[in-house]
Amino acid sequence: MKFVCQHIGLSIVIDDKLVDQLCRLGSDHYPKEYGGLLVGRYVNNNKEVIIEETVLPKKFKSSAFSFERGVEGLRKTLGDLSRRNPSLIYVGEWHTHPDGRPVPSGTDSSALRTIAEHKDVFIKNPLLLIIGLSNTGYELGFYVLYKNEIHSYELEYNQQHKTEINLIEKTYGGK
Amino acid sequence: MATDKNKHLEEVLTSHKISKEQALLDKHIDKRKEISEALQEKYGSDLYSPFNSGSYAKHTAMNKKFDIDLIAPYKRNAFETLEKMYSSVYDFLYDKYKNEATVKKQKVSIGLEFNTDADGDIVKVDVVPGRELNKDQYPDDNNLNLYVYEQFGKIDKGSDRIKSNIKSQIENVKGHAEKDSVRQIIRLLKVWKFYNGKKPKSFFLELITIKAFDKKTISGDIWDKLKAVMEFIRDEVKSVSLPDPGNSSNDIADTLTDSDKDTLSYDMKRMIERIEEDSDTIKSYYPINEKFPPEDEQKSNNSYGVKTGIGLSVPPVTRFG
Ligand SMILES: [Zn+2]
Repeated sequence: MKFVCQHIGLSIVIDDKLVDQLCRLGSDHYPKEYGGLLVGRYVNNNKEVIIEETVLPKKFKSSAFSFERGVEGLRKTLGDLSRRNPSLIYVGEWHTHPDGRPVPSGTDSSALRTIAEHKDVFIKNPLLLIIGLSNTGYELGFYVLYKNEIHSYELEYNQQHKTEINLIEKTYGGK
Repeated sequence: MATDKNKHLEEVLTSHKISKEQALLDKHIDKRKEISEALQEKYGSDLYSPFNSGSYAKHTAMNKKFDIDLIAPYKRNAFETLEKMYSSVYDFLYDKYKNEATVKKQKVSIGLEFNTDADGDIVKVDVVPGRELNKDQYPDDNNLNLYVYEQFGKIDKGSDRIKSNIKSQIENVKGHAEKDSVRQIIRLLKVWKFYNGKKPKSFFLELITIKAFDKKTISGDIWDKLKAVMEFIRDEVKSVSLPDPGNSSNDIADTLTDSDKDTLSYDMKRMIERIEEDSDTIKSYYPINEKFPPEDEQKSNNSYGVKTGIGLSVPPVTRFG
């Protein structure tokens, strides 16, 4: 599916299967938060990002209200991905909000800023995907840090109807 | 398709933001400085230091057209009459600038509209001559008498009854403009006035907006606020008095005739009705400055950015909430 940020004119493409995978991972850790990295590639003069995969943390700490992702092994994994053809790079982060809406908390917003400013990060506009999980389904929220502001994305209009139906039909976990 | 009124109004404000036409503003400031120096050279000790007024000084400018004024405060004995003061300044400016500008007599000022320059820009400066009210008192009270060249509103031509403490008017608007929303609404009404060729002077719109915020509880999003101010103008313009902050015996409401006020009230009524009926019409009343479309032009330059010195991105330990 495709998400667009009208305000800055940039978009995100992510495969339904990857979304399913992330939701399943999130539901496995429910009611605690969970997450990982988003890797992909910039296309179309860097106006669109295709999210191809997730990289999961080897170490993390989590509770119902927080998720801290470690760094162990990331350099090697990201190095391997960068040598693939096409090359995949780190483009952002994802995590769940169990029983919550997919909107960034204050911690989430400052985390994005910290990432963007970090010396070992070479992208300026990290993405953030938040998955709001409940026992009836999930809700996605995509965000980007752009010129030091957090912007949100919306499902591209012509896909909205179709995907809304999918979202309603979807369940997670053992159901 | 329905227009998001609040989003549109934000874009109108962004596109008319003064910082974006900094270059044009600089030209105005340079020109004003040049005129100021010429006046000081010509009138010497008959003139106190000229200073600027106009909407730029009031932080409410819109960049489609700068209302840049230069106030020239003369000493009480510099001229026998206000009319002589006005004519003298006009003659001087006409002689000096006739080849590079249109110099014309305006209500209380002399307007200089310079010929289009190489960038296609037109610089306009209004010079407002004023004479101190009481001998040697100007440095203390800032009170000036202006000459009214042509009739406007209820004020007769040739009258000298506008006694205006111009400096304190600026202070006053600055004080109120602390409130961002007052400033936003004033800017929007100026956009409306400019694009729709409407009559009220900017200063009138400023004062009536400030009054509306004083008299009514105005809150909500930007459209709610703009609408509340338009409703206030619609309902109150015929009876409201707008004492000049510099001199309360001077009513700025008198700069419009009764029939001007009827028209303004009707304009507001009609505008509110039409926008409520069809949100798209807001675009014709409050257009985006085409020279600086807020989105598309900028949007086309946007992209996911990569820092210089490309390396492998490895994010640090990060905590989310
Ligand atoms: Zn979060």
